[in-house]
Amino acid sequence: MDSIKIKEYKKGDSSLNLVTGHLKAVGTGVKYFVKPQRITLKYPEESLSLPTGYRGMIRLYKDVCIGCTLCAMVCPADAMKMATDQGKKFPTINYGRCVFCGFCVDICPVDALKETGVHDAAFSSRRELFFSPDKFNQDFDQPPVELLVKKVKAVIDEEKGIKYVPDTD
Amino acid sequence: MMNLLFDLRYYVLYPSFFNSVIYPGLIFTAILLLTTIWFERKAAARVQMRVGPYYASKRLGGFMQLIADAVKFVFSEVIIPEGVNPTLFALAPVLAVAMSFIPLSIIPVSVIPPSGSVFSIYFRDFYDPNIGMGVLTGLFVQYNMLLILAIESMYPVFVIFVAWVTNNRFAIVGAVRESYLSVSYDVLLIMATLSMSLEYHTLDLAKIAQSGIPGILANPVAAIVFFIAMLMGSARFPFEIAEAETELVLGAYTEYSGFLFVLTMAGSYVGNLVYALVFTDMFLWGWYPLSGFPGALLTGLKASIVVFFSVFLRAVYGRYRIDQALRGGWKYLLPLTFVSLFIGLVVGYIWIP
Amino acid sequence: MTDQAEELMKSGGMEIDVIPVSGELNVGPQHPGSGHLRIYVRLNGDIIEEAQVEPGYVHRAVEKLGENRNYIHLIPLVERPAILDSIHMNLGYIMAVEKILGVDVPDRAQYLRSFAAEISRIASHLYGMGILAIFIGHSTGFMWGFGDREVWVQILEALTGARITNSYVIPGGVRRDLTPTIVEMTRKAVTYMRRKIKDWENIFLNNPNVKARLQDVGIMTREQAIEWGAVGPNLRGSGVYYDVRKVEPYAAYSRLDFEIPVYKEGDGYARTLVRFEEIQQSLNILEQIIRDIPEGQILSDRFFKQIPPTRLKKWWEGQRRVVMPGYYASFRPPKGEAVTRVEAGRGELLYYVVSDGSAKPYRLRMITPSYRSIYVMQNLLKGVRYADLVSIYGSLDYFPPEADR
Repeated sequence: MDSIKIKEYKKGDSSLNLVTGHLKAVGTGVKYFVKPQRITLKYPEESLSLPTGYRGMIRLYKDVCIGCTLCAMVCPADAMKMATDQGKKFPTINYGRCVFCGFCVDICPVDALKETGVHDAAFSSRRELFFSPDKFNQDFDQPPVELLVKKVKAVIDEEKGIKYVPDTD
Repeated sequence: MMNLLFDLRYYVLYPSFFNSVIYPGLIFTAILLLTTIWFERKAAARVQMRVGPYYASKRLGGFMQLIADAVKFVFSEVIIPEGVNPTLFALAPVLAVAMSFIPLSIIPVSVIPPSGSVFSIYFRDFYDPNIGMGVLTGLFVQYNMLLILAIESMYPVFVIFVAWVTNNRFAIVGAVRESYLSVSYDVLLIMATLSMSLEYHTLDLAKIAQSGIPGILANPVAAIVFFIAMLMGSARFPFEIAEAETELVLGAYTEYSGFLFVLTMAGSYVGNLVYALVFTDMFLWGWYPLSGFPGALLTGLKASIVVFFSVFLRAVYGRYRIDQALRGGWKYLLPLTFVSLFIGLVVGYIWIP
Repeated sequence: MTDQAEELMKSGGMEIDVIPVSGELNVGPQHPGSGHLRIYVRLNGDIIEEAQVEPGYVHRAVEKLGENRNYIHLIPLVERPAILDSIHMNLGYIMAVEKILGVDVPDRAQYLRSFAAEISRIASHLYGMGILAIFIGHSTGFMWGFGDREVWVQILEALTGARITNSYVIPGGVRRDLTPTIVEMTRKAVTYMRRKIKDWENIFLNNPNVKARLQDVGIMTREQAIEWGAVGPNLRGSGVYYDVRKVEPYAAYSRLDFEIPVYKEGDGYARTLVRFEEIQQSLNILEQIIRDIPEGQILSDRFFKQIPPTRLKKWWEGQRRVVMPGYYASFRPPKGEAVTRVEAGRGELLYYVVSDGSAKPYRLRMITPSYRSIYVMQNLLKGVRYADLVSIYGSLDYFPPEADR
């Protein structure tokens, strides 16, 4: 173990320190008031594109799936269950239960499951949250990207913390 | 027809009406109130890495959000808790706000020259013998300094009243804090005002402003004490002790909802404006060297800046504990007021005629 | 008449009653300053005579659920109690499972665990700072805490694929490798944080208002801290040099050079200072990890060999992430038990896992740092002013879901 150093802070400010403390606090406030450092994302005018490998909604490639049930076994939330479709087993998913841990994608021996970057899908009823193999086999409808919506990505900046720059691809 | 218009103008611009209803009374105060809250939210947002109100009207920087909020509050249900007297429950915030508005009609906001101003016809009615000019104020009193502070010091009584009728424990604790605070800040306000009145040999705010000697230079100590007492008196940070959200939910106003909640909110902001106007007249030249309506605008502008600065402090401070605020008031600021009293006596004797 | 008055009030009604309020206040569970917690406060004037801290409003029975799930299923579950510090919650559990399994973790994975854990610690401390700030009314500290935390959450998102529920650590290693993008992000974030800390000091830490609210408030002496079982920054704020990272190094901490900030005073300000300096130490650790991280695998050989070669090529060589072999779906560790400790953001986190040879743990016990703060808080709240309730609560960095589990 290295040397133990027990520190003490200085208690009881002198009145001069008190005044400078107040001035510094107000000064810092004014500094940020004049030159704000904002990190708000103006959703939905700006939509964040997520980094590669983001664990979003999952989709199935039915023709690749071998029906090994590993995904259903590893699922921590029992969201994924197997269903028999034309004599073959396929996974179904209930997004009401899914916790997006991505274990099923990681464990699938043939890569029949894929993480999409979609995270903001909306459903109008609980029944819709359940995906049968056929529905699971489809790509997600990406939220409509019109001229109004700007795709941006978050970039860490040394001065501003987080900056949103237009996503080119 | 012309006669009618002239009569109308005469009555609208009559200072007793003009000052208490249009400027700086009800209408101006209501607009400034919304602007202040908007500024408070926007300024805090700028410091806090946020944008603040924005979508309600993008071009105005979200100003309409305040109107929308106000409309929403007005139309939302007023919940009256069980076991309270409904009449008093509804009346209490109304009385509190009404009380906080009254001083606005006594504060001089400008002077009326004998001729050349739209107000000149009222020169004789609002003649102030101390400065030899008319004073643009709702009701001219030679001792307006004292009267304003006396009326404004009634406000905490109504806060306690509000808390008492709501029959809520958090409200009672808030009211107790408010009563402790009010005693300490009222003393500071009155001592600061007293030192200014001794310095300028008058109890008339108009004379201080019209003297052309800025109070903040003549007696900076009094200005500091008055400003801090103003923050205490209008529950601004770091003295937002009586409302203290994380401790007392909303202090005395815990049980209020809907329009009554808006009224309780308005009270402290109006109080802030009253103190800011007094501060402007006393320490920041007031309308000097302008007069008439431009002078009144200048006073309003300065007062608004003072109000804006005091709400900006929300972004810098947390709140003190009640005992710390009281200790600060009695142990450190009260001796400072004695210093300001002394400065007032000396400087007033040497410098100010 | 006079007799009666004298009976009712001592000194015949001439004495002013200086105690205005005496009674009980229910702070919580629906209160802006309580969180998912009820504090039953008995007031005497402004002084709290007694405070009963009543947790349990967000109890999820994690321990009981743990007895009915496979080991792998528990990974997302154990990190739920403190999702803002999920790497640590996850790490402690996995270390216990690894002890039972007898798996060696490769060096690079150990470094990556420390890397993720330190980011998690910074994020957790910033969160705690924000809560403390808003409790004492300082809204800028609140927004800054959460805003600056976002920077670290973004790094975790790039590294693990999720913002807070990371599920990053798996038995035998970690799931994803460090990419050059993440290294670059971390470098920038460290620079940014060092710059921002100066402003933090000006507006929050050295602000006379904040000092007044925290100094000499909730003083816990060294002896009391040990007796009451305080952990983590709360313990170190009371002058006890104790940090699991030093006492019982796990992950890569034995190879990293860092200091443990300890303050003597034991009041709220000391605890805040400890957290603050821990953020700075964590920044140093992150820089060291980026510099020193060894090359190699990120999953134990035992599991790595089980991954099909085609998948290995696609995922490990292509995207620098390992995939799980089928073994994980339902593995049965040998009989045994394990205790592990990690230094989570709020303090020492203990896991006790018993395996009876089946696919589900026989017993899972987790003692979370916030759980240990309940007793500390209850003791500290005695005899303080009512306004200090929130500053003590905030300075202990108590997080109700973590305590309730």
